[in-house]
Amino acid sequence: MRHIVHILENDFRNFLRYKWWLVGLISMNLTDLFIMAIVYNRMLNPELSRQIKSYFDFFAPGLTVTGLFASAFMIGREVNMERRREVHQYMLSLPMTRFELALGRVLSGGLRGMVYMAPLLAICFAFVGLPTPAQFLVILLVLFFLAMGISGLSIAIAVSTTSLDKFVTARGLVYYLLFFCSSVFYPFSLIEQLGREGRFPMFLVTFARVNPLSNASDLIRSFILGTPSFSAEMIASVLIFSVVFTFLAAFAYIKLMERV
Amino acid sequence: MRLFFQYKVMVIMRAIWFISQIAFFGLIASRMVAVENYFRYYVGGLSIMTLYSAAIFIGFDIYEEAEHGVFEYLLSLPVTRRQLVLGRSIGGGLRAFIYVSPLICISLYVIGIGNPVNFLLALFSLFLFAFGVSGMSITLAVVIKSSDRYDILMGVLDALIVRLSTAMYPLSFVKEATPVYGWIANFNPVTFAADLFRWGAGIEAALSFENPLLPFLGIVLFFVFFTFVGIVLYDKAIEGGGWQ
Repeated sequence: MRHIVHILENDFRNFLRYKWWLVGLISMNLTDLFIMAIVYNRMLNPELSRQIKSYFDFFAPGLTVTGLFASAFMIGREVNMERRREVHQYMLSLPMTRFELALGRVLSGGLRGMVYMAPLLAICFAFVGLPTPAQFLVILLVLFFLAMGISGLSIAIAVSTTSLDKFVTARGLVYYLLFFCSSVFYPFSLIEQLGREGRFPMFLVTFARVNPLSNASDLIRSFILGTPSFSAEMIASVLIFSVVFTFLAAFAYIKLMERV
Repeated sequence: MRLFFQYKVMVIMRAIWFISQIAFFGLIASRMVAVENYFRYYVGGLSIMTLYSAAIFIGFDIYEEAEHGVFEYLLSLPVTRRQLVLGRSIGGGLRAFIYVSPLICISLYVIGIGNPVNFLLALFSLFLFAFGVSGMSITLAVVIKSSDRYDILMGVLDALIVRLSTAMYPLSFVKEATPVYGWIANFNPVTFAADLFRWGAGIEAALSFENPLLPFLGIVLFFVFFTFVGIVLYDKAIEGGGWQ
């Protein structure tokens, strides 16, 4: 455990080196909320207005998840850079097991995501509504698992790609698929409706339903807005994603170091 | 131009972003809003957002050259400083335009062309817009002189300029949201470019102008101002190791 704490400390120091980057990223996220969401609010389809009431309120939880995703994914960039610069040899010389090292990296990626996401979640609560203390704990727990899964996914991609170019391209593909094919920006009912009309392939509709970003956003919405209604599937989807990618990343990371 | 196509990842990423924005966001958001033909409206704006982002990229080249000492080589070339800087500015706009051309073709396939003469005029204004954005990027790059700060500033500026324009939504809704947003969007060059492109493509509903000459003049002013300022500042920055 002590070794994992060392890894966390090191990764947090690295994270805080990007202070201006973090300020810039938060500003970009807030621009989406305080400009784009407010304008879309005026344009909402009346039928949909009855369902989600306000686009601003609908989008704020989605934005929190978006911010969490972007910051938790950053760990992959660092791991990819270490791979390219062959820093593993130094890593292997550290007095800790490979599993501790791998788990420490995934954990630090997830915790960094939580730290970055905190002001966005606070803004969401301040402007949209407060959950009960129990709901707040569930939200934090689910977001932590989501951050771990994202961090794992990012590390798994980082160790599977040999160059920054390939990592950035793969990251882009994952970003766009997970963001746009989810209920982060729009209610899932619209994706479902397009699927029923045959304008959207059904496998993408299914993907949007099981997408952990959809489920995490909808979980926050269900607690602070009341819609969509809460279901255990929301938590299960994030947990499965988290467990699969945490272990996949740890396994891939250990394999990578064993190849050195 | 050659430098630009070395950024294969950037080129691929922007193309993926463009297509996924159309296929996912455009299609679904058009169901979310009560704006007639919003899908076509959004695809038109998306082309301008992509053109803007591609034209911004010239600033990163300037940092690359400064860091690798290419400035000294450029200064040794048998061209005047003004020619060098003007060529750089035009190259930045031109390559952005060439990069966006296939994406504009995809947009036109989706939204169609109303009047070919109008479309050619709109295309010309987009050329000027790309040169203006390129000049703005050069100006900010030589003023800031730090690639990290530049990267952050361009990200924030990109978000603000695009969100406070009619690239994603009609001006009437921006004005309704808050008059301040509406006022900024009214004078935003991205608004001029997006609306002229839609006018050229024949999507005339929800345009923010009645006379296309006004946004065209706005783009010309934007182009002249930033091309001139960019040239003067860049010229001064590279002379005698002034960058450091």
